[in-house]
Amino acid sequence: MAATESIYYNPKTETLAKDQLRALQLLKLQRLVERSWHHSPFHRRLYEKAGVTPDKIKTLDDIRRLPFMTREDWMACQAEKPLFGDMITRPEQDAIRYHLTSGTSGRQPLRVLDSRKDWSWIADMWCYGFWGFGIRPSDKVFFAFSYGSFIGFWGAHYCCEKLGCLTLASGNMTTEQRVKQIVEMGVTVVCATPTYALRMGQTAEKMGIDLRKDGRVRRVVVSGEPAGSIPAVKKMIEEMWGGKCGDTAGMTEIGTIMIFECDHQPGGPHIIEDHFIEEVLDPDSGEPMGYGERGERVVTSFGRGFIPLLRYKTKDLVCKVPHTRCTCGRTGDIYEGGILGRVDDMKLIRGTNVYPRAVEAVVREHSEVEEFQIVIDRKDNVQDEITVKVELKPDQTECWPRLQAQLGKDLADAHEGLRFNLELCKQGELPRFELKAKRLQDLRPQY
Amino acid sequence: MTSQDTDARDLLGNALSADDRELLDLYRRLHALSRRDDLPPVATANVKQAMVLLWNACNDLALLHEEPGCD
Repeated sequence: MAATESIYYNPKTETLAKDQLRALQLLKLQRLVERSWHHSPFHRRLYEKAGVTPDKIKTLDDIRRLPFMTREDWMACQAEKPLFGDMITRPEQDAIRYHLTSGTSGRQPLRVLDSRKDWSWIADMWCYGFWGFGIRPSDKVFFAFSYGSFIGFWGAHYCCEKLGCLTLASGNMTTEQRVKQIVEMGVTVVCATPTYALRMGQTAEKMGIDLRKDGRVRRVVVSGEPAGSIPAVKKMIEEMWGGKCGDTAGMTEIGTIMIFECDHQPGGPHIIEDHFIEEVLDPDSGEPMGYGERGERVVTSFGRGFIPLLRYKTKDLVCKVPHTRCTCGRTGDIYEGGILGRVDDMKLIRGTNVYPRAVEAVVREHSEVEEFQIVIDRKDNVQDEITVKVELKPDQTECWPRLQAQLGKDLADAHEGLRFNLELCKQGELPRFELKAKRLQDLRPQY
Repeated sequence: MTSQDTDARDLLGNALSADDRELLDLYRRLHALSRRDDLPPVATANVKQAMVLLWNACNDLALLHEEPGCD
């Protein structure tokens, strides 16, 4: 079979029987623990404190002997021994790349270094995802990405070069320039955050460009926000662009993606299990959750050599289901609905749990909405109020009375009857985003 | 090809195919070449890049699992 006819980037390991996959993971885990023990003082301290030595890792279940690694540990390590802490396993001069976390949480960003092999591996993980979503060397791939110190789509760019695609970097272009180039160059694949994919679509409309007719985009690859797996958001993106929308998710801490949606799109992305162990645990007790149960993602990565990552608590909320949910033949399990949100982004409003992603899922069911914001504040220092500020598409302003009633009902129905205030905003009043959107403002006093 | 290669197995315990052996052989030769310090910069730089790409193929195919951070 010609290479381009394979639906898998790596047929050997993507379709490996589960018992063989587990055997491969165990071997890689044992070597990773051994290497971390010998070359990373940070990890050695963690293990010594937990009373675990590399020889204790005899089965995959023994991974639970290893202590968790947290972002707070990492930040403290960097603060104590600037710039990179003592977790790096190689001398700094062996690195070829330096990146930072996005810092959207307002904390000190994490600093990461990568070697040549690390960087190439990072691109390779994206290759699993891009190939799996049907992207081929004949594609023209456009990156709506700023190419700064945030790692974002950097690895995906190198993946496309590796695959042989024509790769278009848009760096400091304006949204209008990007739209123009996508059409002019006959781009077939666009990569962006879901929010920015929508924004480019809205901008195209304002420019009088019909992307479905004037463009040639057949795939939109999104990443960076949970919205990429919200069906209503994907539908909006697909209707705007005329191509299939597929979600991926990664993090700077591992440097790349660990999950991707295959071309069959079974309702969630596959885990790249030959390169990662993804545990789903109860965020409080640390006990494993079964298939179909929500829990916190805890990741162990086999790829990045400079910075070993074992049992890293991501605070991502996920729900794992068996690989058999998909008919593509991959044996990597699936995160149903993608990244469902953050363990710590739940807001408690008058006794009801509210997740921003769940609000977005309801709001995006209404195609009249162009942009929105969620504002939480406290009335008279006593009662918490939640307001959804809505900006409508230019030709939809007449529908507000009907939409206000319906959206209020839908939000209440999805949140145990909780009353949401709805506020109509003027065109262009709400902020727009290029990278990760910040659509929630919690104005309540923080104690 | 050495007898070690003929008998060799991948990380899953499967006997190596002829393609597997060729990939591993290329990787090892490039790896050895990339460690030499008597080649001109143009050779060293490009050999290192090539070695890393071969490492990707061998690593992903579970033919070897070397320390990934090490060039």
